[in-house]
Amino acid sequence: MTGTGAPDAAGETPAAGPTRAALGPLRAALARAAEEFADGPDALAGILTGMVDDVDRALGEPLEIFPVAHHSPAAALAMVRRLREKRPAVIYLELCEDLAPLLAELGNCRLPVALQAFASDTEDHPPEWAPLSVIAPITEASAEYQAIAYARGTPGVDLVLVDRSADHVFQWLPRDVFQWLPRDGEGESGAEEDGTGHAGDSPSENGDGAALHGDAIGIEIGDLRPGFPELEAYLLHHGKVRHWSEWWDQYVEQPLTGADHLTYRQVMVLIGSLFRRLRPHDRDRLDRDEDRERYMWTRIREHLATTGTDPDRALFVCGAFHAASRVDQFGLHPADPTFEITPRTATRWRYGLIPSSHSAVEAQFGLAPGSVSIAAATWKKALTRHHLTPFALDGQAGKPSRRRSAKAAATAAAVPPATDAPPDRLSAFLAEPPVPDALDETELLGWCVDIVRLARRHRYQASTADAIAVYETSILLAGMRGRARPTPYDFADAAVTCIEKDTVPGRRSVAQLCGTLLGGDRIGQVGYGSLPPLARDVLDRLAVLGINLQARTIQRALVDLTSSPELEPASDLLWQLRLLLPPEAIRPVMGERRLGARSTQESWDLAIGRHQRQLIELGYEGVTVEQVLEQRLRRRAWADSATPADALTAVEDALLFLANPRLVEELGNRAVALLAHERTADTAPEVLRRFRRLLAHYRVTQPQPPAWCDAFAATGYAHYCTLLPAAFADEETGLGQVAAMLGFLSSMENLAVALGSDPTQLRLAVGQSHPRTPAKTALLWAVQVRLDLLTTGELRSRCADLLTNPLVLPSFPEYVSGLAQALDPVPSLAPFVVELLSTAFAELPDSTLLPWLPTLLTTLRAQAPEAMPALVREAARIFPSSLPALDAFVPPWVAEATGPPAQEGRDGARAPSAQPGATDGAAPIADLLAAHPDTCDAVGALLG
Amino acid sequence: MTTDLLRAPAETKYAEELDWLESVDNDPRPFSWRLSPRMVRLFVLGSERADGLDRQIPQKWFGDRTFVERAIVTLASDRGLLLIGDPGTGKSWLAELLAAAISRNSTLVVQGTAGTTEDHIKYSWNVSMVIAQGQSRASMIPSPLMTAMERGAIGRFEELTRATSDVQDALISILSEKYVSVPELDEDNTVFAKPGFSVIATANSRDRGVNDLSSALKRRFNFVRIPVVTNKRNETEIVRFRTGELLRRHEIEIDLPPTLLDVLLQSFADLRAAAAAATGDDERLESALSTAEQIGVLEDAILHGQYFGEGSLRAETLAASLVGSLARRSPEDLAILNTYWHGVVEPRSRQDGGEWPAFLEGGRAALATLS
Repeated sequence: MTGTGAPDAAGETPAAGPTRAALGPLRAALARAAEEFADGPDALAGILTGMVDDVDRALGEPLEIFPVAHHSPAAALAMVRRLREKRPAVIYLELCEDLAPLLAELGNCRLPVALQAFASDTEDHPPEWAPLSVIAPITEASAEYQAIAYARGTPGVDLVLVDRSADHVFQWLPRDVFQWLPRDGEGESGAEEDGTGHAGDSPSENGDGAALHGDAIGIEIGDLRPGFPELEAYLLHHGKVRHWSEWWDQYVEQPLTGADHLTYRQVMVLIGSLFRRLRPHDRDRLDRDEDRERYMWTRIREHLATTGTDPDRALFVCGAFHAASRVDQFGLHPADPTFEITPRTATRWRYGLIPSSHSAVEAQFGLAPGSVSIAAATWKKALTRHHLTPFALDGQAGKPSRRRSAKAAATAAAVPPATDAPPDRLSAFLAEPPVPDALDETELLGWCVDIVRLARRHRYQASTADAIAVYETSILLAGMRGRARPTPYDFADAAVTCIEKDTVPGRRSVAQLCGTLLGGDRIGQVGYGSLPPLARDVLDRLAVLGINLQARTIQRALVDLTSSPELEPASDLLWQLRLLLPPEAIRPVMGERRLGARSTQESWDLAIGRHQRQLIELGYEGVTVEQVLEQRLRRRAWADSATPADALTAVEDALLFLANPRLVEELGNRAVALLAHERTADTAPEVLRRFRRLLAHYRVTQPQPPAWCDAFAATGYAHYCTLLPAAFADEETGLGQVAAMLGFLSSMENLAVALGSDPTQLRLAVGQSHPRTPAKTALLWAVQVRLDLLTTGELRSRCADLLTNPLVLPSFPEYVSGLAQALDPVPSLAPFVVELLSTAFAELPDSTLLPWLPTLLTTLRAQAPEAMPALVREAARIFPSSLPALDAFVPPWVAEATGPPAQEGRDGARAPSAQPGATDGAAPIADLLAAHPDTCDAVGALLG
Repeated sequence: MTTDLLRAPAETKYAEELDWLESVDNDPRPFSWRLSPRMVRLFVLGSERADGLDRQIPQKWFGDRTFVERAIVTLASDRGLLLIGDPGTGKSWLAELLAAAISRNSTLVVQGTAGTTEDHIKYSWNVSMVIAQGQSRASMIPSPLMTAMERGAIGRFEELTRATSDVQDALISILSEKYVSVPELDEDNTVFAKPGFSVIATANSRDRGVNDLSSALKRRFNFVRIPVVTNKRNETEIVRFRTGELLRRHEIEIDLPPTLLDVLLQSFADLRAAAAAATGDDERLESALSTAEQIGVLEDAILHGQYFGEGSLRAETLAASLVGSLARRSPEDLAILNTYWHGVVEPRSRQDGGEWPAFLEGGRAALATLS
């Protein structure tokens, strides 16, 4: 890429072409004006005369430059007129060159749609940018669509896209400013610096349609907006309008709608030049714009040289901003033609069409809500008024064939180039105020009647009197704003004033109803023929459901697999899509699919038509849904941040939704590897839950679990044994995690030992564990009971001591919580936990008990599926089930404490001995020692 | 005359400006309006260089231009204008300016209260004259609204929703038929409105549900909702403008440091954000945190500084004034302010310095006094 070499914004301007004389008087008048207003020659004179020079230069170019503005009906009208008059053989269009193949597909679509370049993996671009997505929305009321429709529908016409590729869009982006770009639009949208845009117009405020573009970077042809917020604020303030769209409509669109070609060109280049010269010195952004201009002119010269096209028969359609370019590479005979186009990176780009909408375009490019719809309505009206027939692509939904125009084009001759200097139309345009449109009474009356009708439907108490008031107020507002004909914005203000009261009775306010009335949001659709293979495959495979999958409303699908087993593949596909598409696109109302459970009747709410973009973007990732799902599962398991739990989730999904044992094994082995390299026990609860589920599934469905399960159990056993002492001591490792580790160790012990693990590992680990918190201490006691390192009686005794010690009494609830957590690794402790909870409720003072209750409830609720059934069952066994039995009820542990010393408890554990200090395990020893007192006597004598 | 009045009405205060505008106004004027709609807008919103006037007209009401335009065209139409919004958003001030610009009289005002009766809206009688001479037009006391009808002027109804519903409904016939019948009189018993008559009412959106307007009355009003100003630039302008006026009224010359103004605006912005995030009434201040309340806080602080301080405005005084104005409920408001002071002001004073440390101390002291 070469250096910029552009002249300064207000500095020296390049020499004008041979046609300069025609605009000479205007230039002189502007210089005089600058001198008068600025009290002497200064930057203002440079800017004003420079603008005239820019117009001179653009119009003097041998290749006709057609400046456009985005979503401008005036530009579209001028384009229709010019195309019919000139019949160019080649059209160069400012649009990413690699999007060209998509233009052929536009015929299958209902506009607005967006051309999209998409790359899920980035090569040579920062990885955090992924996925890369560039969209260029195409609306019907746009000059570029007219050019595309003309070129596609006219034999022998070549349409050449000349702007940089989608890859270059990202190549040229500064590395540090990407974060905000997807929200505010691309550099040329103008919102990036000023931050004004219309930031409040979030998708949620604009309805579903506004989110259609996702977080793609938007590209527009002919964005014209002041370069800094102060200028825009100034123009809005003095134009006495609220939005930029309104200003543009009032001061540019309306005066230019009926203008002749020359006036249109001169004015548009003048505006482009004005905004180009009045912009901050942001070199990055300016460089990007100028590089684009160099790129486009280089491509144009290459094409002309290659094909030998006569420039007189060609047309270059670009934004007015670029028409006023002053780069050295501008034009067919530039001062410096050298510009090296960098090669694209190795990023693999996919291309497709996605549905767009007026509200999505407005949200993406910071336009006023409703402005694109209003532009579309204006376009239709202007066509009728000026008796123009627009160009349309053959076969497009709702469009008649335009064969006639194609035939006419083949015979039409190009308009001979003007040899004289073009006459000055700017002076007259700038000197006289635009002739205001006369009041269109029929149109306004129609609006007034319709808005009242619409308001009534939305529960407003509107009447004919309101229609009259809206009519009157519209005219008064327009008069106050200096126009005879109320614009849609005046009408909307009047409607809000007259109909909106203190509350909005329904779901939509009057302002929103006005938006609906004046065109409403139009949402495009990509036709079947232009969908990627995956999307077509999905539609084909779901066709058996017999519902309209392209509809934008929610469709209910009923799948009875018993009576219609042929629907099973469709059901499988829906479950797969549920994983891949947003939840609201595919929602099961009835039916489930999980390990060990599969419904025979399913009911689905499908909104695939509304989520066409997401379905199309799936198509960029693979050819079939199965392939994409497999890729996603692999990606999840092999991600840098993947945990064993993630890999186990992927295993479960693969088992449920893909009949691919090889993939399951691969993912299982990945889970083993991840577990072996894990350094913390953070995911232990999730690992335990998922692995248990998978193991149960395999035990039911297969003679023996697969090899990876064995490896996972053995690895997990060793891994958690190693981590256990640290986890007990570490304050950051939660109780739940330690309990899950113990749960894994206790439930997988048999399997691991059978596979060669050493059970003493666990005993050693428990021996090395020294918890510091009461809850973990209780957990350790529980596991010691499980390993026969502690008896139940000793445990009971320790807990009783806690209750009698006033210093540790406040922490007693924590001990109970720890033991409650231990129910999973040591289920046999359930009777004791019931006993302990009962004791706690009986003996703890209210000041300790009450603050603890919420913690206890949340603890028990968290482990409801695993531990609670056992606890509830045990409680049901112990406590009386009828009211009469309650009076005579004595808890077994109380009965044991007051009964004979050797009485067995109902849980099988022996009651504590009546003698203090004696325990279950100690009794036989005491008997033995009593029978043979010699040894003890000798020890006593030795010790004195 | 202006100097003799504690607070001169807008038409008196800006009499010279209105005279001048009337003299240069060449646009058509509806009915008996003294200025054309464009000139009314210009009077309220101020002039620009592009308006091509020989003198600068200062801006008097700060807010969205569209609201003013919608209000003006409503008054030119057949309907009354109801300005609705939170307290302190400038509804009454806008109503006064509009009435002053259109009919050069903004004092034809009925104040809506729980004690407002139909007599206040229509007419009442001079009892002694009635006893002496019987009922006649001479013994009738027209209400401000009836006077406005007779003169073809703008009548104002402040706090419409504070008046009871049956009293409000007395306006229906005035706004629909544009006349008031006086059945007590045998002849000359109808007072017709002259062209140019209209009504500007204001209503506090926080009073919703107290005395809701009937559907019939709603139909006869165009509603223009005035939002709380959240744009910092606009709010600064408003506070400066109104405080300047108040200082002139009190004949006080005191410097208003921009840094202190920033502290005040930032505090209100913080508290508004907190109120927006609150989930219950106990978590938000009772105050509406309007611009008018900011002006009140500033005025209090200035007066305190002038009469009890060193003749200057200090951050401590401003903080004490803010706490004093906003702490209305104990303990709810005090708790919120306490949290704000320790959670926001304290870290900010450490981080930003400037006036914030003094503001912090002043607020702490005020909170300690109130707690």
